[in-house]
Amino acid sequence: MGLERAFRVGQAQTSNRKMIWTIGGGKGGSGKSFITANLGICLSKLGIRVVLIDADLGGANLHTFLGISPPALSLSDFIKKRVSHLREVLIPTAVPNLQLLTGAQDLLNAADTKSVQKRRLIRSIQSLESDTILVDLGAGNSLSVLDFFLMSDGGILVVTPEPTSIENTYRFLKSAFYRRLKQSVSSASVKALIDDAMDRKNEMGIQTPHDLVKAAMRMDETDAQRMVEEAGTFHPNLILNQVRSKKDIEIGFSIRSACLKYFGMHLHYLGYVVYDQDVSNSIRRRRPLVLENSRSRAAQCVMEIASKLADSH
Amino acid sequence: MGMKGIKDQTYYEILEVSPTATAKEIQRAYEHAKETFHADSVAVYSLFSEKEVKEIEEAAEEAYRVLMDESSRRSYDRTHSRAVGEQSLEEPFDSQVASREKRASLSFTDLSFNVEMEHYRGRELKQVRERMGIDLQTVSKETKISLRILESLEEDNFENLPALVYLKGFLKSYAQCLGLDSQKVVEDYLQFMRESKKK
Repeated sequence: MGLERAFRVGQAQTSNRKMIWTIGGGKGGSGKSFITANLGICLSKLGIRVVLIDADLGGANLHTFLGISPPALSLSDFIKKRVSHLREVLIPTAVPNLQLLTGAQDLLNAADTKSVQKRRLIRSIQSLESDTILVDLGAGNSLSVLDFFLMSDGGILVVTPEPTSIENTYRFLKSAFYRRLKQSVSSASVKALIDDAMDRKNEMGIQTPHDLVKAAMRMDETDAQRMVEEAGTFHPNLILNQVRSKKDIEIGFSIRSACLKYFGMHLHYLGYVVYDQDVSNSIRRRRPLVLENSRSRAAQCVMEIASKLADSH
Repeated sequence: MGMKGIKDQTYYEILEVSPTATAKEIQRAYEHAKETFHADSVAVYSLFSEKEVKEIEEAAEEAYRVLMDESSRRSYDRTHSRAVGEQSLEEPFDSQVASREKRASLSFTDLSFNVEMEHYRGRELKQVRERMGIDLQTVSKETKISLRILESLEEDNFENLPALVYLKGFLKSYAQCLGLDSQKVVEDYLQFMRESKKK
């Protein structure tokens, strides 16, 4: 059973339908962990039961953003069966309704983790007592990371208004997009075509998703149509971080238009977080910004985004 | 819209507006397209080649030119009725969601930012108004500002403009009447006025 199907079947079987958001999108340092931690706190303060999952391949540090010492128990204790239930490795935080699960980067090292272990883990995550799960995927781009991003209820990209960050995000989005297209088609030749399309120097001269659909139409019209439909139902979300000007805010709308033109996909501009010195001050003090300084401009921005996520619950 | 090439998109799709978009919405969409699709735009960096950006830029210019003129828009709608009709049957076009999102995103903070976009002076305001096909009488009626003042405003005839406290209000009403960002219009115009008076 593929990972995505395992996920969906698990979701259907659990009695409480929880929202699973994954935060990812390329470049390190764009603020994913900061935003995951503070969003989690805001949601839990709204009365929503939240589990934060740290799956950052670059190293788990959500606990630092939450002001918790490096946790004694992690996901690998569950995977290696040192504990029998996943809830035993959940770490409580100072915030009611908020718990942390760390070390999920082990799960995303695809080479090491057997798929049967992954499925067991996914089922356990789905049965956790919570309303919302936020997964910090970090800067990874592996197939497992992409799969998690795609199978969640909402993938959230965090990007800063700099060319390098935007470039990395587009790279991630292309990988996720083509992977999603590949999962939607059935013919082996079209799957191979999609793989080719990922290489811009491919022999077929496929440079854009539009070129890909044209080439696929010649092979299998049904699959080509499926790809177009799939692109139309893919709705990742965007948070623009470290915004310093009105022009920066507008970049979020421009990225959305660029994605519509290039991928034929509707990117949802969830909101922005202004650049704020209070952010790095709070990180240094290991105190979450939304608790330490809820009136700061960046905290206000995060709260606004949290209320939008809560509304979509 | 699917994954259509730029040449296969309708003018409405190019500007990301609904087939029933008003002139104001088309104006806003065009300005957004200009801001997004140009050679130095960070939003298109690494996604589109220079040639592709140029193609989209030119397509947006043409779409704007046709759709802002009532008769050419009518003629276009007639000849492309099938394509345009299909578009309106799809899920609600992003522009309404976009403008709601935009208002929501921008409304909660009172922070004012430095703006580095093109500037609104009398001449630019007049151009925008004329492209929308709105005459000065209509603006005067809606805003209750006298024709004389509106003309002076558009001609940058600063001596005939009222005191600042009234002028700000007039500029704001004028901008809102045209569906423009009123804060930007006021800031730009007053800045230009200050600079001109120094010379």
